[in-house]
Amino acid sequence: MDQTLFVVGVNHRTAPVAVRERLAFSEDEIVGALARLRAAAPTVNEAALISTCNRVEVVGVSSDPARAIAETLNFFATDRNVEPGAFSNAVYSYTARDAARHMFRVGASLDSMVVGEPQILGQLKLAYAQAAVARTVGMVLHRAFHKAFTVAKRVRKGTLIGHGAVSVSSAAVSLAGQIFDKLSDKTVMLMGAGKMAELTARQLKTLGIESLLITSRTFDRAVRLARELGGTAVPYDSYKPYLKMVDVLIGSVASNKPVLMAEELETVIRERRYRPMFLIDMGVPRNFDERLNAMQNVYLYDIDDLGAVVQRSIGDRKREAEKAEQIVEIELESFLKWHAGLDLTPTIKDIRYSIERLRDVELGRHRGWLAQLEPAQRERVESLTRGLTNKLLHRILSGLKQRDDETLDAAFAAEVARRLMGAELDARDAEIEDPDGEIDDVDADLDESENDDGSPGA
Amino acid sequence: MNTLWIMPALGCYAVSAALFVFDRAQGRTRESGYAVGMLGAGAVFHAFDLTARGFQAGNIPVANFAEALSFLAWLTALAGMVLIVRSRMTVIGAFVSPAVTLALGVSAMTMNGGRLELPAPLRSVWLPIHVTLAILGYTMFVLAASVSIVYLALESRLKSKRALGAAGDDAPSLEKLDRINYRLLGWGFMMLSLAIVSGAIWADATWGHFWSWEPKEFWSLVIWILYAGLLESRLTVGWRGRRAAALTIVLFTVLVGSFVGVNLIFPGKHGGSFG
Repeated sequence: MDQTLFVVGVNHRTAPVAVRERLAFSEDEIVGALARLRAAAPTVNEAALISTCNRVEVVGVSSDPARAIAETLNFFATDRNVEPGAFSNAVYSYTARDAARHMFRVGASLDSMVVGEPQILGQLKLAYAQAAVARTVGMVLHRAFHKAFTVAKRVRKGTLIGHGAVSVSSAAVSLAGQIFDKLSDKTVMLMGAGKMAELTARQLKTLGIESLLITSRTFDRAVRLARELGGTAVPYDSYKPYLKMVDVLIGSVASNKPVLMAEELETVIRERRYRPMFLIDMGVPRNFDERLNAMQNVYLYDIDDLGAVVQRSIGDRKREAEKAEQIVEIELESFLKWHAGLDLTPTIKDIRYSIERLRDVELGRHRGWLAQLEPAQRERVESLTRGLTNKLLHRILSGLKQRDDETLDAAFAAEVARRLMGAELDARDAEIEDPDGEIDDVDADLDESENDDGSPGA
Repeated sequence: MNTLWIMPALGCYAVSAALFVFDRAQGRTRESGYAVGMLGAGAVFHAFDLTARGFQAGNIPVANFAEALSFLAWLTALAGMVLIVRSRMTVIGAFVSPAVTLALGVSAMTMNGGRLELPAPLRSVWLPIHVTLAILGYTMFVLAASVSIVYLALESRLKSKRALGAAGDDAPSLEKLDRINYRLLGWGFMMLSLAIVSGAIWADATWGHFWSWEPKEFWSLVIWILYAGLLESRLTVGWRGRRAAALTIVLFTVLVGSFVGVNLIFPGKHGGSFG
């Protein structure tokens, strides 16, 4: 009856990409894989498979988590055709509280390579949807996933964990957004052939920049890139007249001395009527004269400045991650409380105890005339009462256990049992607390109340 | 005199100011919605106060400095709400709400007890027109100065490379702040011009001359010329950004000086002397 959550898998921290890629499942393989897992791992009652660039893991539910984990690992090895030795030392596994915590941390992007990156939540939702299609989601996983989504949402709303540029190019884009209101009416000029500069131009392009000028010492390259990105190539020896229409200038020209001096830009700035200009210097050695930053409405960032922005963002995210961990812990407690409530075992024990107890008491009260019966007759009375109580018990217990699809709150069941069988349970509890106490008095009360009902023994 | 509405109005404004400033300090906008709501609630109570005093005066309640300040605070609260909601810049609230709270607080404390009778020549339909236009103009300049402070803070962060990799939820860009500043200045200038014109027409109708060089008139003209110069510099030379923001703040301090000074130190027809 005990449904324990478990997690087993590898991630970017425990396994290099060479291992992760061998275990990975593509998006359309997952539903089939879950069916195979179900067949190969009989102790796994519920399962979902999360496979991203940074992790391959199974989240499951089992009454024997240790065996379920071993079966799942075997499944990984056979299904992915990887010898177990190749990944066994990279595997982590968690059960119960730790498994739930891990799942919530993954969803909240606390376990990501770049903490706070937003894709993981979508990937988790996909994993849940696929498991639902494969019909391997039961009550516990259903709840665990939804709790993980709630945690992720609370973390997104309550912390700044997803904020801040964590790469040089996104830092440049973020700064452009702090200088300019909208990018669609701006002009970007890309100078030179650096990879990072190109990436920045690409990102700006996806954010709506329409006018992109590209200049490069090798004109062919400029033309090729212009065609690819949807820009206009400008010959390198005549790009300067274009500067007055450029709002964002990205430099990554290989040159030993700056290609743009402050004096050159002075007239440009005036011609632009002081409209702001963002100069992104990605060249090493630097392309732009550092005095440019002192000019009216000109903002110059070199590669180190951008790096510093990234470092600050990462620092901020780490601080925010601490707040996020607290949210995870709070939600974890609420999930575990629910999970503990799922367990009907104590309630079933209570009911069984109460009914047995009623029978004992009843037989005890009639001890007198029962003793006068023939042994065979006495046997039949005993078996009659036993049969009756067993039938009753069976009916109640099977009713309680029929709950595969619907969530029967065990706390509610316990409450109902307590109301129905209160007297017996109270008596037992009193006995536990105070062994030589008032148990007889309670029995006496019980007898009296039975007499009031006019039972046949009176 | 103060009405019973003044305390709830002040209270709401103060809570709004505290929420805005708290949000700003935390670098987030979680409480800003409530802050805008409290600003609005304050403005509603404040409107009851103005209406009550307006009924007593039989005209808009601007008989002395305290009343004018109260009216200015109210219009600033309303215009500030419009600006915050329309431009989605809650950061402005961190300036508007405290300013409104302060202005109404000063007004409430300096409001003298007696009932004010408007002198006969001022009881005219021109009073609400002239005064509302003038105070609306001032309201725009208050907001422009707030926007400019935000501009200068962001600009200095960008210049000194202390910029954050994360723009906050509603962090405005320099370009947007500059544009809004320009618009507010434009509106303010237009209101001020109309106020001066309407005042001149009214003076001509009442006293037979358009202009009498009393202190308020003199300073209004000075301020009008200064703001005209600021707008002109943008249109011709293209002065924008930091320079425009800094000048907006400088002109605003001149404006505050003249508003307080003329009303308290050189009271003419405009000052508190006709009470």
